[in-house]
Amino acid sequence: MSWRVSAAIIRHEFRIMLKDPSTILFILFMPLVMTALMKPLYQSALSARGVSGATGAEQAVPGMAVAFAAFGVGFSGFAFFREHGWGTWERLRASAATSADIMTGKLVPAFSLTLIQMAALLALGVPLFGFAVAGSVLGLAAVVVAVTLALTAFGMTVTAISRTSQQLNALGSLGSMLFGIIGGAFVPVAFMPAWARAIAPATPTYWAMRGFRSVTLDAGGLGSVALPVVVLLGMAALFGAIAAMKFRFEETRIYFG
Amino acid sequence: MLVVRDLRKTYGTTIALAGVDVDAAPGEVVALLGPNGAGKTTLVSIIAGLRRADSGSVTVGDVDALAHPQRARELLGLAPQDLGIYPIVSVVQNLRLFGEIAGLRRRELDQRITDVAAALSLDGLLGRLAGTLSGGEKRRLHTAIALLHRPRLLLLDEATTGADVATRGDLLGVVRRLADDGAAVVYSTHYMEEVASLRARVTILDHGTVIAKGPLDQLLAAHASAFVEMVFDGPVPAVLLGDGVTVEGSTVRLPTADPGHSAAAALATIGADASRLRALEIVEPNLESVYVTLTGRRYSENAPEDADVMAS
Ligand SMILES: Nc1ncnc2c1ncn2[C@@H]1O[C@H](COP(=O)(O)OP(=O)(O)OP(=O)(O)O)[C@@H](O)[C@H]1O
Ligand SMILES: [Mg+2]
Repeated sequence: MSWRVSAAIIRHEFRIMLKDPSTILFILFMPLVMTALMKPLYQSALSARGVSGATGAEQAVPGMAVAFAAFGVGFSGFAFFREHGWGTWERLRASAATSADIMTGKLVPAFSLTLIQMAALLALGVPLFGFAVAGSVLGLAAVVVAVTLALTAFGMTVTAISRTSQQLNALGSLGSMLFGIIGGAFVPVAFMPAWARAIAPATPTYWAMRGFRSVTLDAGGLGSVALPVVVLLGMAALFGAIAAMKFRFEETRIYFG
Repeated sequence: MLVVRDLRKTYGTTIALAGVDVDAAPGEVVALLGPNGAGKTTLVSIIAGLRRADSGSVTVGDVDALAHPQRARELLGLAPQDLGIYPIVSVVQNLRLFGEIAGLRRRELDQRITDVAAALSLDGLLGRLAGTLSGGEKRRLHTAIALLHRPRLLLLDEATTGADVATRGDLLGVVRRLADDGAAVVYSTHYMEEVASLRARVTILDHGTVIAKGPLDQLLAAHASAFVEMVFDGPVPAVLLGDGVTVEGSTVRLPTADPGHSAAAALATIGADASRLRALEIVEPNLESVYVTLTGRRYSENAPEDADVMAS
């Protein structure tokens, strides 16, 4: 593996992303609109539950950020499918780039995009929606990095098991919708029916939201996010392992639609 | 530079390669001919490490390419049969990416891009989005990507498909110059006349087997006689059948050293069947007749419709 080769592929991947910024705009602007809409609802819900001093931003800002981040990674697999559609996958494979170079070249941009998106939404949440981090900012950052890793690895798993771009679309959308809904990004877990609350911890979103709550409403320190961060890293490792097992460089993926 | 020995590959029940030997020395162009499905792409893909062989050996330079595909890839350049370019970035960005992957940097990379663009008449198009190029221009970019880094082994799989006469001339010229500079080239094609202009050694594949191999003139001397081909409406008259004569449906081919006289003689013998004669052609010794002699079939019936294949 060579950092220069990976760097060339990374630059190229970013260039392609920017050529069609519609996805980026979607995962940045939709959550802002949603946050503005949902914030009052969350505020009354939280105060009805006796959480004093809540503005609703504690749920709305990170909730929408992580829900749409999950959306984004569901689609990061298109970075692979595009290459098949363009006939360039075989070219990359026949080039001097190693498998590791190609993987790095694809995953670093996907990871960075999600990281930038979450960071931007949380940062914008401060002036726009009064989002406040009463606890550890470092803890918040740790949760963001950990959930981004878990979601990127999830995106890779979905890519690895999809043969066609339609399967990727279906599985990616399904996964990220479930993560958003069951994981408490839209409806706070405390308000969900018991059965949903029971399965929520199976999603990375749940642990991210738990971590976010620790450093906002609960004003926790860095230590308060240890459990969520460890679980998220565990999920990243699990998804990463499945992806590594299932992904075949020589597989012909079919891109259409 | 390239040594392939007893290479075998099956897909399910399809035997794509049934023990193929191919060699390409530095400075040499090996033209890989064979009808659709003969196994050309499979062979090239295995050499480039894109598909796995069932058995056999592939040596690129001094690298065992089946055991160390990565090391072999560093020595080669491949232009696959199917177009492979990034349509939504510019021509120069396409070239730059693959140049950087091949280890070219800064001035050297710029220089190579300038050279290859000039050689393949892409110089006026460097800033264009690749997706907006014409079919032939895309094809030139596609091939340029494979030879930009001047690989020691160049694999071109039907590089001139869809190219006009000028583009084809450009491509063949560049390939021949790379070989003259010491590259080994494997060049698959359906166009027999390209073999002569590349001064290529020929390898003819048929159903995954090498049926003939060698310099063009040797192949012609060994296997090609001129022949008279006659096509009838209905069955071939029995009077024409004889030694070395091949029949395919309503078509008969009569090998001969003196085609003019043989044609006249054949016409004289068929009598009333002459009314059913639909075509008569004298085919001079060429690769097509080598193929016919070896397989009893004509090549062009298997070839792409738009091609004036194997005419030489
Ligand atoms: N992935 C595959 N799965 C199944 N069969 C395949 C596959 N690839 C090729 N084949 C079969 O293997 C045989 C050789 O195919 P190959 O593509 O190597 O031929 P070719 O000489 O390149 O033909 P063409 O001139 O049409 O490009 C054909 O019968 C083809 O149908
Ligand atoms: Mg082919």
